[in-house]
Amino acid sequence: MLNVAIFLPLITAVLVLVIRREKFSKTISILSSAIVLLIILALFLGFDWNRAGFQYENRYMWIPTLGISYHTGIDGMAISLLLMTAIMFFASFVWSWKIEDRPNLYYALFLMLETACLGVFSALDFFLFYIFWEGMLIPMYFIIGLWGHERKVYAANKFFVYTFFGSMFLLLGIASIVAYAYITSGQLSFDYMFHKNMKYPFWLELLAFLLFGIGFAVKIPMWPVHTWLPDAHVEAPTAGSVILAAVLLKMGTYGFVRYSLPLFSEASKYYIPLIFFLSLVAIIYTAMMAIAQTHIKRLIAYSSISHMGIVTLGTFALDVNALSGAIYMMIAHGLSSAALFMSAGFLYDRIHSYHMDDLGGLARYLPKLSVLFMISGLAGIGFPGLAGFVAEFLVLLGTFKNYPIWAIIAGTGMILSAAYFLYMYKRVIYEEETISEQRLEKWRHLKDVEIHHMIPFIIILASAFLLGLYPLPFVKIVEQTSRYVLGG
Amino acid sequence: MNWNAVLPEILLSVGIILIFSFELFLSRRYYKFLTFLAGLVPLLAVFSLLFVSVPSKTFFDVFYVDTYTLIGKALLYVITSLSLFASYDYFLKKRADYGEMTYLILTSSLGLSMLISSVNLTLLFLSLELASVTMYILIGTFRREYLSKEASYKYLVIGSVGTAMLAFGSAFYYGAVGSLFLKPYQGDNTLFLLSMFLILSALALKVSSVPFHFWTPDAYEGAPTPITAYISTAPKIAVYFLLVKISTLYSHIKEWMLLVALLSVLSMFYASFVAYAQRSVKRLLAYSSIAHAGYFLLGLVTSDKILSSALLFYLSVYIFAALGSFIVLAVLEKRENFTHHFMDYKGLGRYDTLLAFFFSIFLFAMIGIPPMALFVGKLGIFMGLAKLGLLPLAILFLVASIVSTGYYLKVIVYMFMEKADKKWQSVQLSAGEAFVLSVCATLVLLLGIFPNMLYDLIAKGL
Repeated sequence: MLNVAIFLPLITAVLVLVIRREKFSKTISILSSAIVLLIILALFLGFDWNRAGFQYENRYMWIPTLGISYHTGIDGMAISLLLMTAIMFFASFVWSWKIEDRPNLYYALFLMLETACLGVFSALDFFLFYIFWEGMLIPMYFIIGLWGHERKVYAANKFFVYTFFGSMFLLLGIASIVAYAYITSGQLSFDYMFHKNMKYPFWLELLAFLLFGIGFAVKIPMWPVHTWLPDAHVEAPTAGSVILAAVLLKMGTYGFVRYSLPLFSEASKYYIPLIFFLSLVAIIYTAMMAIAQTHIKRLIAYSSISHMGIVTLGTFALDVNALSGAIYMMIAHGLSSAALFMSAGFLYDRIHSYHMDDLGGLARYLPKLSVLFMISGLAGIGFPGLAGFVAEFLVLLGTFKNYPIWAIIAGTGMILSAAYFLYMYKRVIYEEETISEQRLEKWRHLKDVEIHHMIPFIIILASAFLLGLYPLPFVKIVEQTSRYVLGG
Repeated sequence: MNWNAVLPEILLSVGIILIFSFELFLSRRYYKFLTFLAGLVPLLAVFSLLFVSVPSKTFFDVFYVDTYTLIGKALLYVITSLSLFASYDYFLKKRADYGEMTYLILTSSLGLSMLISSVNLTLLFLSLELASVTMYILIGTFRREYLSKEASYKYLVIGSVGTAMLAFGSAFYYGAVGSLFLKPYQGDNTLFLLSMFLILSALALKVSSVPFHFWTPDAYEGAPTPITAYISTAPKIAVYFLLVKISTLYSHIKEWMLLVALLSVLSMFYASFVAYAQRSVKRLLAYSSIAHAGYFLLGLVTSDKILSSALLFYLSVYIFAALGSFIVLAVLEKRENFTHHFMDYKGLGRYDTLLAFFFSIFLFAMIGIPPMALFVGKLGIFMGLAKLGLLPLAILFLVASIVSTGYYLKVIVYMFMEKADKKWQSVQLSAGEAFVLSVCATLVLLLGIFPNMLYDLIAKGL
C-alpha cells in the first residue's frame, strides 16, 4: 500500500504528460492525490501505536552489487509527515484549479514532486533516500523557474545551486559511513537498519554528522545558509511556496531526527552548543528580519526560517518532550505556513502585489479572506487552540529542563513572531486610511475567496484546529518516534 | 585459425564491402537506404556475439575475446548503429549525402572493435589507426566549410602525435619486456615506465583528457554534428574497455596511479572552468566530455573490481546521454541559420518542447541527478574511491561535479526560462532521430531505476 501511495503520483504524471488535456490533467491530479491521501489515512488509522520501530516495511534487492535495496517503512514521525504531505498536495492541486499557463506540465511536475516527497519520508535505504531527496530538485526547479514572478530564473538557479551543493555534502556523508562499514565489517550496505546497529568511532561520527548536517541545514534552511529561501519563496507560484514551506523544508529537519540523532548520538551531544547557537540566531535574527519586511511573502519566508530554528532547537535538546514538540512543530508549521502562503497568493491573485504599501484596508472588501488569514497567522505564531502552540510549548518545556537559558532566549522568538504577524496583518487588512480613490475603484469589485480556494483553506485550518484542540493522540504518535530515537 | 572469435568483425567487414559495392553502383538518391542498411550491420554483429564462444584467441593469440570484451563490443555496435540511424536526415538536409560516410563509420567501428580485443601492441596500433584515420576523414566531411576542414586537420596533426607516442611506447615496451604482448610486469625499469607513460598518453589523447585535449573542442565543433555524436562516444567505449584491462596489469606501479590521477584531476577542473566561458553549446558539450574523461579516468587510478565495474557502467550510460545530446544538436542544426550560440537556444522549451525535454533529460543526467543512470555510475566511482581510501580524489570528484552543474544548468535556463529573440521555423524529427532519441532517453532513465540489468553483466564480465 505504501508503495502504491508513493508511486501513484508518478504514474499519474506520466499519464498527464502523455494525454495532455487540460481538464483531464487537473481532474486526474486531484483524484490521484485524493487517493494517495486516503491510502495514507488508512495506513495512519491502521498504525500500531504501541509498537516501537518501523511498520509497513517493504524490502527488495535492488542493486546488490553496491549493497542497495529498495527498503521502505514508516514510524510515527514518518506517517504524520506523510499525512501532512498528502494533505498539502491535495490542497495545492485544488488551489491551482484555475491555472492557465501550461497546466499539463505544471501538474505533472507537482505530481513528480509528490512522489519524491512521499519517498523521502518513507525510505529506509540511504541510496533510495538520496534518490528521492534529489528527485524533488528538478520539478521544483522548473516550478519556480517557469511559473514564478519577475526574478524567477535567478531564484530557481539559486535554489538549485544551494540545495545541490548541500546534497553533495549529504552524499559525501553517506559515502563516508558506508565505506567505513564496508572496510570494518566487509559488508557493503546502504540499509538504514544495518547502519543503525553499527557503532562508529567518534571521529567518524563527528565528520559524518557535519556532512549530513550541512546537507540537512541547507534544506531546512538554517542560518547562515538560509538566503536561498526568501528568494525562492518570493518568486515561486503559490502552490510552489506552499509545498516548499510545508513539505520540502521538513525534509531537512526530518533528516536530523531520522539520521543524525540515532546514527551519530555521541556527535549529536558534542555539537549541541553549535546547533543551539545556530538555532537561536535563526529564531531571533530572522524574526527581526521578518519585522523589517514590507513584502508579505518575504516576511512569511523569514518567519519559516525562524520557526525551523525552534524545530532544530527541540531536536537537539535530547529530551523526549522537546523532540516530540519538534516533530509536532514540523506538522504544525507545515499547516500554518501553507495557509499563510495561500493567503498571500490569494492577495496576489486579486491585487497583483505582495507589497504592504499596495495593500491595506482589505477587511471591508475581502471579509472571508481576512478571517482565514487571521487564523493562519495565529496558527503560525502559536496561538493556543491551534497546532503551533502545543508544539512550541513542548519544545520549550523539554528544552527548559536541561538548558533553561537557551529556552528562555528562544522564548523571546515567540514574542517577535507575534509582533511581525500582527504588524503585517494590520497593514494588509486594516489601515483603511491607505485606500485612495483609485484603489477604491478597483477594490470594490474584488471577488472574495472562491470554492477552489476555500477547500484547501478549510482542510488545512481544520487540521490545525484538530491538532491544537485535541493533541493527545497525535502527541502520542510522535512520541513513539522520540522514544525510539532517543533510545528510551 | 579460430574464425569464431572474429565473427562480429567478419560480419562488419562483409557489411562494409557490401555497402561499398552498393555505393559504387547506386545513385545518390539511395543514400537513405544505404545508411539504413549500414545501421543494420552492427545490429547483426551484436546478434552474432551470441555465437562467439568465450574465452578464445586467434590471429597468433593477439586477438582475445571473453565476456568482458563482448560487452564492450555490444555497446560499441549499438552506438554505431544508433548514430547511423540518426544521421541520414541531417546529411540530406545539409546536401552532404556522401555515400562513403555510411561505410566509413562502420570501418571506424571495425577498428575500435579490434581495439577492444587486442592484447598485443601491434594489433592495438593497427586497430587504433584504422579507427583514427577514418575519423579524420569523417570530421572533414563538410569539405567546403572552413571549420570542418580545420577540425579535421587539427585532429589529424594532434592525432599523429598520438600515433607517434604509441609507436615509441610500443618500441620501449618491447625493449623492456621483450614482447609486444600486454602481460603482467613486475619490476622497476625506467624504460618500461617510459613506455607506459607514452602508451597512456596516446590513449589519453583519444579520450581527450587534459593536457591532450586540444583537438577536442575544435573537432567536435567543426565536425558535422552526427559525426560529433559518433566520435564523442564510440572511441571512448573501446579505449576505456581497453584501459580497464591494461590497468589490471599495471596499476600496481605507483607512477601509474600518480599519472592517471593527475590526468583526471586536470581534466575535471580545467574543462569545468573553461566550459563556463563558452558561447556555443556544442563547444560546451565538448568541454563536458573532457570533464567526463576526467571522471572516467578516476576509475582507472587503481584496479579494483568495484571501481572498474562502476567506471564501465558509468561509461555505458554516459555514451547514451552524450549521443542523445549531440543528436538533439544535430536536429536543431537542420533549421536555417541555426548556430549553436546560446542565444539561439532561448525559448526552445516553448517552441520545441519535445526536443528541449530530451535535451534537458540528457543534461540533468550528465549533472548526475537521480534517478538518471549517470548518478548510479558517479556513486559507484565515488564509493569505489572511498572504499580504497582515496578520499581526496573522491572529494575532488564531488567538487568538480558541483562546479559542472552551473554550465549544464545555463543551457537549461536558456531553453526553458528565457524568451526567444527570433522566430524559428519548426523542425521535423526524422524517424531515425526520433527513434534514437527515445532509445537514449529511455536507457538513461531505465538504467537509473534498474541499474542491475547492466551492472551485473559488467561485474560478471570483469
